[in-house]
Amino acid sequence: MTTEKTISLEINGRIFQAQEGMTILDVAQREGIPIPTLCYHEALESVGACRLCLVEITHPDWKGWRGLVTACLYAVEEGLQVTTDNAEIHNTRRTLLDLLLARCPNSDVIQKLAAEYGVTATSFQKNPIETTCILCGLCVRVCAVKGCSAIGSARRGIQKKIAIPFGQPPPDCIGCASCAHICPTGTIKYEDTADVRKIWGHTFKMVKCESCGRPVMPEKQLEFESEKSGLGPDYFKLCPVCSQRKSVETIRSTFDMKPVEVAR
Amino acid sequence: MHKTLTITPSRCISCRTCELACSFKHAGVGGLGISRIRTFMFGEGKNQILTCFQCDEAACVKVCPVEALSRNESTGAIEVNEARCIGCGLCSIACPFGHMAHDAVNGIAVKCDLCRADEPACAAFCPTRTLEYI
Amino acid sequence: MRIKSVKTLESAAKKARTERDQLKTEVLVCAGTGCLANGSLDVTKALERAIRGSGLDAKIALRLKNTGCHGFCEQGPLVVIQPQGIFYKGVKPKDATEIVEKTLREGEVVERLLYRDPNTKKKVEQYSAIPFYSKQLRIALRNIGKIDPNNIDDYLAIGGYAGLAKALTQMTPEHVIDAVSKSGLRGRGGGGFATGRKWKTCRDAPAEPKYVLCNADEGDPGAFMDRSICEGDPHAVLEGMVIGAWAVGAHEGYIYVREEYPLAVKHLQHALEQARERGLLGDDILGTGFSYDVHIARGGGAFVCGESSALMKSVAGEVGEPRAKYVHSVIRGLHDKPTVLNNVETWADVPWIITAGADKFAALGTKRSTGTKAFSLVGKVKNTGLVEVPMGITLREIIFEIGGGIIRNRAFKAVQTGGPSGGCLPESKLDLPVDFDTLTEAGSMMGSGGMIVMDEHTCMVDTARYFLRFLVDESCGKCVPCREGVHQLHQMLEAICRGDGQPGDIEKIESLSDVIVKASLCALGKSAPNPVMSTIRYFRNEYEAHINEKKCHAGVCRNLFTFKISEEKCTGCGLCLKACPVDCILGELKQVHTIDDKKCTRCGACRNVCPVDAVEVI
Repeated sequence: MTTEKTISLEINGRIFQAQEGMTILDVAQREGIPIPTLCYHEALESVGACRLCLVEITHPDWKGWRGLVTACLYAVEEGLQVTTDNAEIHNTRRTLLDLLLARCPNSDVIQKLAAEYGVTATSFQKNPIETTCILCGLCVRVCAVKGCSAIGSARRGIQKKIAIPFGQPPPDCIGCASCAHICPTGTIKYEDTADVRKIWGHTFKMVKCESCGRPVMPEKQLEFESEKSGLGPDYFKLCPVCSQRKSVETIRSTFDMKPVEVAR
Repeated sequence: MHKTLTITPSRCISCRTCELACSFKHAGVGGLGISRIRTFMFGEGKNQILTCFQCDEAACVKVCPVEALSRNESTGAIEVNEARCIGCGLCSIACPFGHMAHDAVNGIAVKCDLCRADEPACAAFCPTRTLEYI
Repeated sequence: MRIKSVKTLESAAKKARTERDQLKTEVLVCAGTGCLANGSLDVTKALERAIRGSGLDAKIALRLKNTGCHGFCEQGPLVVIQPQGIFYKGVKPKDATEIVEKTLREGEVVERLLYRDPNTKKKVEQYSAIPFYSKQLRIALRNIGKIDPNNIDDYLAIGGYAGLAKALTQMTPEHVIDAVSKSGLRGRGGGGFATGRKWKTCRDAPAEPKYVLCNADEGDPGAFMDRSICEGDPHAVLEGMVIGAWAVGAHEGYIYVREEYPLAVKHLQHALEQARERGLLGDDILGTGFSYDVHIARGGGAFVCGESSALMKSVAGEVGEPRAKYVHSVIRGLHDKPTVLNNVETWADVPWIITAGADKFAALGTKRSTGTKAFSLVGKVKNTGLVEVPMGITLREIIFEIGGGIIRNRAFKAVQTGGPSGGCLPESKLDLPVDFDTLTEAGSMMGSGGMIVMDEHTCMVDTARYFLRFLVDESCGKCVPCREGVHQLHQMLEAICRGDGQPGDIEKIESLSDVIVKASLCALGKSAPNPVMSTIRYFRNEYEAHINEKKCHAGVCRNLFTFKISEEKCTGCGLCLKACPVDCILGELKQVHTIDDKKCTRCGACRNVCPVDAVEVI
């Protein structure tokens, strides 16, 4: 166990203690100080792409120098003085959301967030292409963390987009839909039926619960998960409801009790 | 050495107060369906209470892709880091006992975490000392 | 062949020098990319044939060789004859025989190949008397044009690798860092960071291994300083890097060359191999036990990969996107290890600083911007090419004394410095000294050394639009302010140049620019508004004319003007008629010509060729 240095810093005039290696955002979230984010997720490495979490920092040793940094990436320092909101920061966030609204005018998530900053219609030229993707990159990052890296980004600048290799259903996709779940604007869609999951152009056959027949997860994902976790396929053969039923039944039969009467 | 949630099923009177206390504690509402502890009535006064076994070799921990599940060394319980959880649902499928639930509203996994730093609510409210935190 | 000690190096250099000194004549043909494109290799072949045919090479010690860029690119193909110092311009293969017979054999000049000074109207024989050259002070470019870049012995003869020998055997790494710090050398790629301090921080960083890299991405449109150094004196770059590696404690490095520089890659690769062969690079350099080797990494066609953190990602095989630099690359850079990245010109300066001494470098230039700087002087200036001057020289001196002033003696309008990250400065700023700090205060920056001269035929709004279009194409797209913001700025400029500008546009551009500067992740975004902000600052009237009057008085934005031939000025020479690509000009010889406005595409060809400036912008 390493002895982590304790660091003392000031946020909005109040002093807090933090561990070396924490970011300004880590401390702010712990203390309930609101800082808006879009491309941040605690499970994934921060990238500082959306710039919404910009905060102003200064330090007594910096001879009056002040600057804006992204709270999600800036590591706390002893004596750091942070301001999470002021007129400049507010205006900057407002413009960023105005720009995002120009990009995704029909995204209800962006509309809502922009409205909080007084932007109900964009003052810029609207995107001629219909999209709700804000290019936060969370989908790409979570797919990499899962170990698949099936999706990525293509092209650069204003032409940048989330893409699948050569536009074909990605060979490394296991159909887990983590990308869809993590997408903050609900851009990535998938469709589940009793038998299949359709995502990224794939049609994945679903494994069904051995007890009740409800779909559990794509077969390809089951193979992947059972190997990656080292647990083997048996852990993934029952849905949670049936797993619980099985436990209850095991107890009942072990202690020779009458069958359960509670409906589930 | 931490305390343990001890269950003595023979004392259980099926009042389901534990389930109510659990949902109030975690979700602020008294819904029986969202409790992380469940009672099962087998009749003739023979009831069972099931909650997370906080397994030594937990399947949920092994399967989580983002390390959102980890053991709290002071309580011994496995906790969900809600900010890290991506809601993929793998843990709820992998748990052989069906103890991991999915909070559809917030899109994250929920489980018994022995109420973290506080005394487990179920044990605090159990009228018959079926559930004890000792 | 391997040079295993300093003594061996010294004797190899002496041998090369003696061989060179025994030559009676050297014929140096410029084979930099510019002259190559102009056919200089055919000139070399023709000279070779002519020399053989003349039998002169049997009588006098004569050497013909291809060198790197002489710098006076406007006048190529260039041939210089030493030690006489004769400078020939615009040489064609058919001139070869005359050069050999008249100059090499008889010692006389071929008058028609001499450079004529456009201001004195006199022909100049001597290289050193040409104002373009006489006002320069070449340190980074010291060897280019004199040596064959593919021959390491040429480099040794001129004192090459003596700096490395001194650093490795007479100086500790700390001494080297000290010398570089004392010299005041600041990064020549545009960042202007104190090189000595950068090396020291890297040396002090605890992690291993360390890397020493060279940034040869040179993405600024119109800049070709680094290209010329890599093509013309690759060993200077290598020597500098080995000295840097010694100072910092690195054993491995890369030269990141942009994809669009195949000749630079070829010459660097050749130089690498020669240096390795001779034991001047790689294992056990000069028998000292110090090892450092270098590989070439190619770019993929991205301006953003000139940004240090994006460059390092690209070297590592990942997509070149910058990262927030709250932790500097000298602490965590390539593969998360301490890395020194310096520009080509910076590296080329290092061996000179070690051999000539830090004080000599510090004595040049200004107090806070010591030494010299290479510039690519292009645009509407008479003498376009590559120049190196002491810091602190004024813009006026560069443009008018070295550059010879504006072509066709038109009026100077603006000079764009620092590439897409820089800005445009008007005539009122011509007496500003060129250094790292002064131009920045005026709203531009020196940058990597690109200098584009503009005249009255340039529209400043169109110029801003051009640079924004470039930046939109080159933005990596990671952060919202740059990806979306610069795109929106470009859209606004496009609208203004189209005639769709609205009142309030200038204010909108200014406030959006402010946010882009504050919020962008990297220097590409942070400096992207500079071209538009500097042109609004100094040429606001042009913006107002475009927006309010829907007029482009410079005659560039095609929807916002028409061409009309002045009846008073037109001499009826007919040149415009011939130049017009859509045959919209009518007129008899010696009669006033007219333009059919309905057919006219506003290309400006007529205006460019008219000898009396009769084509007016209405």
